[in-house]
Amino acid sequence: MEKDKKIHRSSSSRSSSLQPRWFATAKMVAVALIPVVILAAMIAFIFGPGHQFLGVGTPIPEISIERIEFQEGGKIVAFIRNTGPIDVTVAQADVNDRIQQAAIEPEKELQRLAEARVIIPFPWNKGEPYDVGVTSSEGTRFSKHVDAAAPAPTPNVEHAAFFGLIGVYVGIIPVLAGLLWLPFIRKLRAGMYRFFLSLTAGLLVFLGIDALVEGNEIAADSVAGVFNGQILIALVTILSFLALMYTSTKLGERSKGGSRSEEVQQQQEGERAAAELPSYDSLHASQAKTIDQQRPRPVVKPVAIALMISIGIGLHNFGEGLAIGASVVLGQITLSTFLVVGFMLHNTTEGFAIVSPLAKAKVNRLLGKMIIMGLIAGVPIIFGTWIGGFIYSPVAAIIFLSIGAGAIFQVVFLIYRGMAETEGERGKIMSNASIIAGFATGMLIMYITGLIIPS
Amino acid sequence: MITAKVIVVIALAAAVTSTVFAVAGQSFVGLFASAQNAELKKHIIGGHTAGYGLYETSGDVLDPVNNYNNVSGEVVIDPDKYLRTFDYGRVSKLPDGTTLREYTLVADDRQTAEISPGVFYNVWTFNGTIPGPTLRATEGDLMRINFINNGTRPHSIHTHGIHKADMDGVFETINPHGRYVYEFRAEAFGVYPYHCHVTPLEEHISHGLYGVYIVDPKTPRPPADEMVMIMNGFDTDFDAENNYYAVNTIPYYYMHHPIEIEQGKLVRIYLVNMLEFDPINNFHLHGNLYQLYRSGTNMTPDEYTDMVTMSQGERAILEFNYKYPGQYMFHAHKTEFAEKGWVGLFLVKDHAQTSSDIGNSNSNSSSISYPQTTTISARDVGN
Repeated sequence: MEKDKKIHRSSSSRSSSLQPRWFATAKMVAVALIPVVILAAMIAFIFGPGHQFLGVGTPIPEISIERIEFQEGGKIVAFIRNTGPIDVTVAQADVNDRIQQAAIEPEKELQRLAEARVIIPFPWNKGEPYDVGVTSSEGTRFSKHVDAAAPAPTPNVEHAAFFGLIGVYVGIIPVLAGLLWLPFIRKLRAGMYRFFLSLTAGLLVFLGIDALVEGNEIAADSVAGVFNGQILIALVTILSFLALMYTSTKLGERSKGGSRSEEVQQQQEGERAAAELPSYDSLHASQAKTIDQQRPRPVVKPVAIALMISIGIGLHNFGEGLAIGASVVLGQITLSTFLVVGFMLHNTTEGFAIVSPLAKAKVNRLLGKMIIMGLIAGVPIIFGTWIGGFIYSPVAAIIFLSIGAGAIFQVVFLIYRGMAETEGERGKIMSNASIIAGFATGMLIMYITGLIIPS
Repeated sequence: MITAKVIVVIALAAAVTSTVFAVAGQSFVGLFASAQNAELKKHIIGGHTAGYGLYETSGDVLDPVNNYNNVSGEVVIDPDKYLRTFDYGRVSKLPDGTTLREYTLVADDRQTAEISPGVFYNVWTFNGTIPGPTLRATEGDLMRINFINNGTRPHSIHTHGIHKADMDGVFETINPHGRYVYEFRAEAFGVYPYHCHVTPLEEHISHGLYGVYIVDPKTPRPPADEMVMIMNGFDTDFDAENNYYAVNTIPYYYMHHPIEIEQGKLVRIYLVNMLEFDPINNFHLHGNLYQLYRSGTNMTPDEYTDMVTMSQGERAILEFNYKYPGQYMFHAHKTEFAEKGWVGLFLVKDHAQTSSDIGNSNSNSSSISYPQTTTISARDVGN
């Protein structure tokens, strides 16, 4: 077989030398195009003469109301999209199923997936629930419910500052405060350290699941079926996981090959550390030397892990910010002190998650790095509230939530891989009581602090 | 040789893809064209009442409440025409001296027509309209209705009133392309509905197969500005709840086309409730009271009021005149119905003769005293 291949390869290389190289390429392209051409012909036939044979069933029009804005001065604006299989014409608009005068821009005829704004002059009352609907020319009414009307924040300095302040309260301060757990973690013994490390994993898994559930709710409520919101969540989560996995592995490889001397030094340090306390990173490094000396395995440095945790949490917090901003617009929550306090408690644990992998590592300029990572994790919540509040898009919201979820699961994977390798035997981590207990405690802490947040 | 093949394949591919793009592109061209048109038009909406924001739009206006311009011309009825049109039939005398009135009603269920500006619905009609024509006869006349079913489903005509069993339109359903002759004597004077009685009944009625017939008393009622109003509605999304309410089919029609009446002149409304799905409907008149003759079967008014509530199939005659000129609303006092279209206006014209004596208009307003001589015995003329 091997021989045949070789012969074939050589013959093809010979033919390419006889004919111009572009010709071979063109031939290959042509061969690749044949199925596409057949498909295109089929599609042309179906839209053309084949249309009459295949016109079975009645297409049902569908209009999705993606967002409703309550504007000061007696106007309600509904952002609608034709998410059905056919073009639709909007005939009427209503508030609480009572017909109202309205304008529709750019026009009442909506092609597939086209958007329009429906402006309904209406003296709405703050805090009251509303049901806003449009009726197609077929007489079908599509509506969306709003729990409590709240004036739409307009993108001005005042509102931006207000959202920024919320972001600082629920994002930056708690995360930075959580970082201050570092000295405490440093003093822990191996068993307790493992407990807190897996507690971090528990916190993160909770956040990941929370992001998926949140995304799923948005997909079910506000994203039209045509966008396959739920599949999009799974897709983006997996892609984000794989992309970060790839990046972190590359990062590890580069650090391995790049600065050999630094690596050796770190390994020595690691061995020294391992002598007294097994940090998973140092043990990992020593293992790479002793067990796997032939093919050095990629090592992910604790700073890199912490950085990735903070990026994951940052993406998560961006999604959280979108949710907060959008909730203000959708009138689903009132920004009470309880909400702010709840998010603060909830997010302080995120700071803990960032510092726990750093506990046993010797890092230069640690304080500066920590602050930067704290900001990476916390600041996106401000951008989230701005985007969620001013230009909310449900599809964007679920994409960001899913990226965050993928990032978080990737970090959890890294943490456990690190721990598994410190244990020396992968299977053993599930029989370690402190790891299991830590994981469970982490999730419970998140659940309980989550209860404080009124939804 | 291979070169030629490749070129042919590529040429084919180019042809097919360009065709597909050309077909798809047409819609985009349309998009740009309409975007250009949008630059030209500017409309202002809102601001009509304090609290309603004012908005200038370059888009389309959706306004069945004030604006009837959106209507396409495929409207299922002209409510102005329907209001005061009565079909007295083709009149002939029978040997025994009885007046024979022959009408033709053609049922159809294939049309799609506009029932509110921009909203199209599969209408089931008698003679192409909802409601069907208002048939009118005098007590004692023989009414003969030639019924033709031009539709795709069985239909019938069930008239309220006194008639033989096989004239009832219940068991004798008429299949598509079938015909039937309904014949009965106009007995008790009054106002009656007629409608299809084929099951599923709710479907046949809610799609529009109904109308009004009037039997005048032998001694005519005093002359008046007479009009027919049928309270109806449409469930366009088939959830067993009405999306639209109206008198005479088109929501809000009489808001932008007020019914002109004369100050001090007697107005008589033949009012029938054919509303499906909702258990009641009602008629409230502004700035006035009316004499209410329930079912129109008595010459003595039952009530002097501005509100009458009716269940489906109930009907009445309303008589009133306006003391003062101006615009007066009439609507269902079930506010939901009013806000989904069942609301209209009377425009009371300041009559040249009566305008001078507004001061002593007491004589006008309280003068609704009619001959009350007719008794129950007078109605049994048919026998």
